[in-house]
Amino acid sequence: MDGAISIEDLTFTYAGNEHPALQDIRGRVEDGTFVAVMGHGGAGKSTFCCSLNALVPKFFRGTYQGRVLIDGKEVAQHRVSEMSRHVGLVLQDFEAQLFSTNVELEVAFGPENHCLARQEIERRIERYLSFVHLGRFRSREPASLSGGQKQRLVIASVLALEPRVLVMDEATTDLDPLGRREVLSVANRIREEGRVLLIADHEPEVAVTADRVWLMRDGRVISQGPPSEVLTDVESMRSCGIRALPTVELFRSMNWPGNPLTAERAIELIQAHHLVCRREPKPRPPFCERAAGSVILQAEELRYTYPSYPDEALRGVNLTIHEGEFIAVLGQNGSGKTTLAKHFNGLLKPTSGRMLAGNKPTSGYSHREMAQWVGYVFQNPDHQIFARTVAEEVGFGPKMQNQTPGMVKKRVDEALEGAGLEGYEQRVPFTLTKGERQRVAVASVLAAQPRVIVLDEPTTGLDDRHQQDMMKMLKRLNQQGHTIIIITHSMGVAAEYAARTLVMKDGRLLCDGPTRSVFANEAKLAEASLPPPPLVQLGNWLCTEALTVQQMVRELKENEGHGNSKQVR
Amino acid sequence: MNIFLYLDRATRIHRLDPRTKMIAVLIVFSVCLCFNHPLYMAAVGLGLALAAVAAKALPNFWRLRYILILLFIFSAVMWPFFVKGRTSLWSLGGLQVSRESILYGMAMGLRLVSFVSTGLIFLSTTRNEEMTNGLIQLGCPYPLAFALSTALRLVPTFAGAGATIIQAQVSRGLDLESGNIFSRIGKFIPQAVPLFIYAIRHTNLLAMALESRGFSPESKRTMYYEPHMNAIDYMILIGLLVLFVTLLYLRLGLHLGAIIPGRL
Repeated sequence: MDGAISIEDLTFTYAGNEHPALQDIRGRVEDGTFVAVMGHGGAGKSTFCCSLNALVPKFFRGTYQGRVLIDGKEVAQHRVSEMSRHVGLVLQDFEAQLFSTNVELEVAFGPENHCLARQEIERRIERYLSFVHLGRFRSREPASLSGGQKQRLVIASVLALEPRVLVMDEATTDLDPLGRREVLSVANRIREEGRVLLIADHEPEVAVTADRVWLMRDGRVISQGPPSEVLTDVESMRSCGIRALPTVELFRSMNWPGNPLTAERAIELIQAHHLVCRREPKPRPPFCERAAGSVILQAEELRYTYPSYPDEALRGVNLTIHEGEFIAVLGQNGSGKTTLAKHFNGLLKPTSGRMLAGNKPTSGYSHREMAQWVGYVFQNPDHQIFARTVAEEVGFGPKMQNQTPGMVKKRVDEALEGAGLEGYEQRVPFTLTKGERQRVAVASVLAAQPRVIVLDEPTTGLDDRHQQDMMKMLKRLNQQGHTIIIITHSMGVAAEYAARTLVMKDGRLLCDGPTRSVFANEAKLAEASLPPPPLVQLGNWLCTEALTVQQMVRELKENEGHGNSKQVR
Repeated sequence: MNIFLYLDRATRIHRLDPRTKMIAVLIVFSVCLCFNHPLYMAAVGLGLALAAVAAKALPNFWRLRYILILLFIFSAVMWPFFVKGRTSLWSLGGLQVSRESILYGMAMGLRLVSFVSTGLIFLSTTRNEEMTNGLIQLGCPYPLAFALSTALRLVPTFAGAGATIIQAQVSRGLDLESGNIFSRIGKFIPQAVPLFIYAIRHTNLLAMALESRGFSPESKRTMYYEPHMNAIDYMILIGLLVLFVTLLYLRLGLHLGAIIPGRL
């Protein structure tokens, strides 16, 4: 038996496309291993995942060459419903995969399709719901579960068919840090049972515990090997559009020996080789009100309860935002971050307390007027895009404000420039990549020339390249005078770009201060179920101020230069 | 945002076999067609109200109260102009309003509300899966049964997406508060296009997920919730049939319950 999965010269081109999505893929995966498939958006990871359970070529038509063998069976010769016994597939969008009216029926669905007896179905429901720790949610409605719980439910319902191979295609991308941790720990236990686990993702943190890592670029697998080899090959990773692990980058830049993949390993290496002298923790200066612009948004004892839910979503939030700030709002799903942000632009009005924009309550403005104070970019650009050309799409806002055609054109040009989309006027929005569509959404909000821009998860779902483009654009807009507020659960993005961070938990503001202080308070972050990114963990241990690799390199080199004599172990 | 109609309660009606409930719905629809006198229709309505209380479905009725009220008013106001009765109260050209036709309009309003209420009670007490299983056991072809239950399943999903889309468009300046009828129709496009695209993308992903779990609409499958007909199911069906036959006799044999005889 040569391995659970065997792929021979797999080449696939979608019907109607010129370029192949997969080219000459070759590889083998043994039982009980965890393979991480990494690559930027469009590299072919999803196509590859779908080729393992016959969705490619049965559901997605095209020209198919080569063979994929799972347990000796040739995948392309079988129907998708037959392959479901051997391969389970978990997709990124957990909402679209769940459709039953309660949890146990969702898990029963797969076995029902395979005509298993009721006793057997009962046994499997019990077993797999407890495996993913959802046993007590048996009669709940899936809509009432959190994102991490929903994705675990999908895993349980896929495992109920007892497949040998579990494939997860970017399954943790839309989850908050806690949800991601839950799903990955379940995934790791699957590997322990002797099954094959294959996770496709673009975040290198996921691959750290893998047995093998495959790097994909433009439909080819350019590198296969253990994480210690592949994740430290910074040039290859960069060519695939994947950001290097910050600890690896740091050690590389400082010319330190070793290639630690995690913060813990980095700390071990630093201690073992006495690479750096830890400084005394500096007393932090009290957070003084920055001499920034005037107060532009203010929340006073803000409380809000959604009409259909009994619990309060916001419990007395007090907040002052000055013009020109760059703020990140962090928190788990359900902590109230989106609810708070929707108060900023008047989509929601407080149930009690006040929300002021420019010293006037938001209820005193019409929607049209609010759009000039606060622009809100929704998480999914596809919820807003509807026009035939980018120019028409971006010009929608000014047109609604009854501007003259000349003025509309001027606004559109400025907005496109602000979003870095010059030259895209006549492109069709639906043909753009996700990152470009997200920037079109930002441009269409910019066209109304708001003073504050609120973005809901601007980087989630984007690969590293697009994330960088988006955040650099936001930084530029901030330097030009816009106040930027991002809601995110990417700790790395907040650490790198936001000057001020707010942490929400259960409808309350848990922390509010300069990003560096907030991230130093690991206890509070743990309370909000937000693990600090590895570089920040390292920085906290070293007592440095830096939040990015470049800053840390500079700071450490400065300290070396000053010859810090005090050695603290 | 939750727009599911199913309410998970443990009432007698919930526990009935889905086949019983489906057939009962058809019988009740037929009962509603028996009479066109508002008093008789009100009695039918009262019976349905009691059923709604027994099914603990009242929260759904409260959520849809505006639709129910609107349906009643629309029928009660429009019908009188199109039906001819004996005691004329007002006429203009071909249109005539009579005492009978006003009462007829009210009866039609009650009938429409009764139809909707019956459906609402059914959906509040029956899970989609039970309905699919019931249809399959009644001999409905698999693809048809699944198409029906998927359609029902997706309505709340799309309504939720529609609400998010409206919020997104309003945030960028879509003005839903002002404008005449023509400009309001034009404003429909920024809401409709993203919703269509969402619907297509969502159902595509759903199809992938279903097939990946072994779903095949034509092949046989077992049912985890297997519907069983109990004594109470047969009793209810027989009771409803007897009721229907009795009411039919009242109308056709004794000519009762019709404010305008000769019309449905």
